[in-house]
Amino acid sequence: MERARRIRRNKWLYLMILPGFLYFVLFKYIPMYGLVIAFQDYKPYKGIFGSEWVGFAQFSRLFHDPWFWEITRNTLVLFGLNIVFFFPVPIILALMLNEVRVQAFKRAIQTAVYIPYFMSWVIVVAISFVMLTVDNGIINNILTMTGHEKINFLLDVRWFRPLYILQNIWREAGWGTIIYLAAMAGTDPQLYEAARMDGAGRFRQMWHVTLPSIRNVIVIMLLLRMGSVLEVGFEHVYLLLNPTNRHVGEIFDTFMYTQGLLQGQFSYTTAIGFFRSLVGLGLVVCANAIARKFNEESLF
Amino acid sequence: MIGLKNFILNREVDRMATATRRKMLSLFAAVMLAFGLLAACAKQSGSNADAGGGAASGAAESGSGGASETAMAPKEPYKITIMAPMKEKDLPSDKILKEVEEKTGYKLEFQWVPDGNYEEKLNTVLATNSFPQVLYMKNQATFVQFKQAIRDGQFWEIGPYLKDFPNLSRLNPTILDNTKVDGKLYTLYMGRDLARQGAIYRKDWLDRLNLQPPTNIDELFNLLKAFTENDPDGNGKRDTFGLTDRNDLVYGAFKTVASWFHTPNNWGEKDGQLLPEFMFPQYVQTMDWFKKVRDAGYMNKEFPVTSKNDQRNLFTSGKAGVYIGAMTDAKTISDETLPNFPDAVIDVFSRVNGPDGQYTTWSIPGYGNVLMFPKAAVKTEDDLKQILGFFDQEMTPEIANLMYWGNPGEHYELKDGLAAEFGGDKADLVARDVREYRNALIGEHETNGSYEGYDSLPAMQHATQLKTENLQYMINDPAAALDSPTLAQKGEQLQQIMSDATYQYILGKIDGAGFQAAIENWKKQGGGDVIREINEAYQKSKQAG
Repeated sequence: MERARRIRRNKWLYLMILPGFLYFVLFKYIPMYGLVIAFQDYKPYKGIFGSEWVGFAQFSRLFHDPWFWEITRNTLVLFGLNIVFFFPVPIILALMLNEVRVQAFKRAIQTAVYIPYFMSWVIVVAISFVMLTVDNGIINNILTMTGHEKINFLLDVRWFRPLYILQNIWREAGWGTIIYLAAMAGTDPQLYEAARMDGAGRFRQMWHVTLPSIRNVIVIMLLLRMGSVLEVGFEHVYLLLNPTNRHVGEIFDTFMYTQGLLQGQFSYTTAIGFFRSLVGLGLVVCANAIARKFNEESLF
Repeated sequence: MIGLKNFILNREVDRMATATRRKMLSLFAAVMLAFGLLAACAKQSGSNADAGGGAASGAAESGSGGASETAMAPKEPYKITIMAPMKEKDLPSDKILKEVEEKTGYKLEFQWVPDGNYEEKLNTVLATNSFPQVLYMKNQATFVQFKQAIRDGQFWEIGPYLKDFPNLSRLNPTILDNTKVDGKLYTLYMGRDLARQGAIYRKDWLDRLNLQPPTNIDELFNLLKAFTENDPDGNGKRDTFGLTDRNDLVYGAFKTVASWFHTPNNWGEKDGQLLPEFMFPQYVQTMDWFKKVRDAGYMNKEFPVTSKNDQRNLFTSGKAGVYIGAMTDAKTISDETLPNFPDAVIDVFSRVNGPDGQYTTWSIPGYGNVLMFPKAAVKTEDDLKQILGFFDQEMTPEIANLMYWGNPGEHYELKDGLAAEFGGDKADLVARDVREYRNALIGEHETNGSYEGYDSLPAMQHATQLKTENLQYMINDPAAALDSPTLAQKGEQLQQIMSDATYQYILGKIDGAGFQAAIENWKKQGGGDVIREINEAYQKSKQAG
C-alpha cells in the first residue's frame, strides 16, 4: 500500500526511467539467452533448438588455441596500461583546470579537450596515420629537419602500445575531465578557507582538500572504467592492427571478429565472448569488494 | 512609496521576463530535441543506404510503384531479391534496372553491400537467416567457406535444371565444373579473364628517360630505380618513386611478381605431393626481391598499411609510376590520372621473364564470383525455375548488352561490331549507370552474347592483347576445386600467419630462419592437416579421372 502510493507519487520519475529500463531489458538482458550457443555446435540454418549440444567443447577449444595465451596477455596488458596511464590523466587535467581563475580560458580549454570525444576512432587513427607515416608524415619531417632519424611509428611493434595509450588519452581524457570538474565544483569552499588558514599552499590544498572530496567519484569512475575497458576497444585496436604488431595487438574482440564474422565460427566466438565477459565481471566484482573494504563508495 | 511600487513592479516585470525567457528556452529545447530525433531517424534510414538497405528500399519504392502499374497488366511480375557485392564507390542509378525489369518482365530488388564488408554481411545473413533469393559470393575464398552450408543442403542443386534453359546451357562447362561441390552444381558464375595480371605504368616517364618497357625481372628493378632516382616527371625534384603497392598479397603486386618468378599458384606439386606456395624457394626469392625494392625506396614503404584507394592515389597523383594488378584497370586509372596530368600516357606491360628467361603468370579459375539460391528464401521448385528463367534471359544479347554496356548512344556506341564505351566526360555517367550491373552479369562475352569491347585507349587495346597472350603461359592452381575441412574452419587464421610472416620478412623483421619457423607454426596450428586433406582430395580426383 505504502509502496504503491510512493510509486504513484513519483510516477513521472518512474516514467522517465522506463525507456532506459526497457532498453536494457530488451537489448542487454533478453539476448542473453543467445549465450546458449556457446555450448552448442551452432549452425544458423538449424537454429538454436536444432543445433547439436557439445557442452564445454568450445571452451576447451579456446583454452587449447595456440593464440589464447597471447590474446589474454595482450588484453590484460592494454587494460593495465589503460588503468595506470590513462586513468590519472583526466584527474590531473581537472585539478589543473580547477585552479584556473579566468573563466573564459577555463571554459575554452574544457571545450577543446572535450571535442575529440565526438570523433570516431576511424578519424583518430586516420589522422595519426597521416601524421606519423614515414612517407612524408609531419612528425617524421620535423624529426629529419631537426637532424634526427626517421621513426617508423606505424610498422614498428614497439610503438603499438604507446600509440594506443596516447590516442586513448587524446580522445577520451576530456570527457573524464568534465566529470571531475563538476565533482570539484561541489567542494565546500569553507574547507579551502580552513586549509589556507592552516597555511596550506596550492598543491597542499589540492592534495588534502580537492582530491579527498572527489574520492568517491574517482572510485566509481575507476570501477566503471574497469568494467567497460574489457568490452570497448574493438574499433580502436582493429584499426591499428597490421602484420607487424599482431602478436601484441590481437585482443579478444579482434580475434572474435576474425573468427566469428569472417570465418563464421559462431559458437566458438560466443564462447570467447562469454569468457571475456566473465573475466571483466570478475575484475569489477573484485575491485568493488576492495572499495567496500576501504569503506569507499561502491557500485553494489 | 513610489519607489517601493516601482521596485515591486520591476521585480514583477523581471520575474515575468525570466518566466517568459524560461518558457522560450524550454520551448526552444523541446523543438531542438524533436529535430534531433527526426535527424536521428533520417540518419538511420540514410545510413541504411550505406549498408545497402537504401537501395532495397529505393528499389522497393520503384517496385511498389511498378507493381501497382502492372497490377493492371495481365501478368504480375515475379519479384527476385538479390544480394551482391558493390565494387563501385556509389550505388548505381536505377536507369538500367528499370529497363531490364521492363524487358524481362521481372521485378528485381538488389541489395548492394560494399565489397569491403561483404564477408561480414554474408555471415550475418547466414546467422540471421535473412537470405535473399539470389546470393552472390564475393570470390573463391568466401565460396570455400560456404561449402559446408552447401553440403548441409542449404542451397538448391541447379545442375539438373540447366538443360531446360536454352541460354543457361551455353555456360562454359569447364568453369561450371570448377565450381561444383562433390560433383554437384549449385552455382552460376560470373566470368573473368583468366590471366589479366600485369603492370600499368607511366609511358611518358619511360619515354622521358629514354627507356624501354622491361622484359625481365632485372630490367623491372632498374625501371623502378630509374623512376625513383632520375626525375622522370622532369620537374627537377626527387619526388617520385617506382612501384605503388597495397596491403593485399594476392591482388596487389606480390602474387603477380611471384608468378613471374615461377612460384606455384597457391599450391604446387613437389615429389608427387601438393604443397602450399610459400614452401617453395621461388616464394622466398620473391620476398627477397620485394625487400630489396622497398629497402632502396623504390616502392611505398608503408605498403602493408596502404589501402587500394591510397595505392591508386599514389599513382594518379603522379607520385608513383608503376601499378601492378589487373591490366584491364588501365582505363579507369587513365581516366583518373589525365585530369591531374593531361600529358600523361598510360600503357601496360606483362611479359616479364623470370631469372631463367622464361615467362609465366598466374590464372584464376575462370570465375570472378558465383551466385547461389538459398532454400530458405527460394521455397519451391517453381520459384527456382522462375528465378532461373530470369538468368536465362540475362544470357541473351539484348539483356546482357544492357547490363554490360548500357544503352547504345547513351553509354556506348558500336564500332565494327564492338562496343566502345564512352569515356571522358561521359565516364562518370557510365560508371554510375552501368558498371555495377556489369559485375553482376553471369557468364562472359562468348556465352552471354554481349559485345566484346572496342578499346579506343591504346593502353586498353594493349591490355586486351596481352591478356590473351597470357593464356599460353598460365600457372594453374591444382587445388582450385579441392576442399579441406580444416581450411573451411581455420582458413582465415592460418592465412594470417603466413601473410603476416611474408610482410615481416619483407620489412626485415624476421629472416629466413624466422620465416621457416612461421611455416612450422602454420603446420602446427592446422596447416599440417590442411596439407593432408588437400592431398587426399587430390588423389581422389586423380583417380576419378
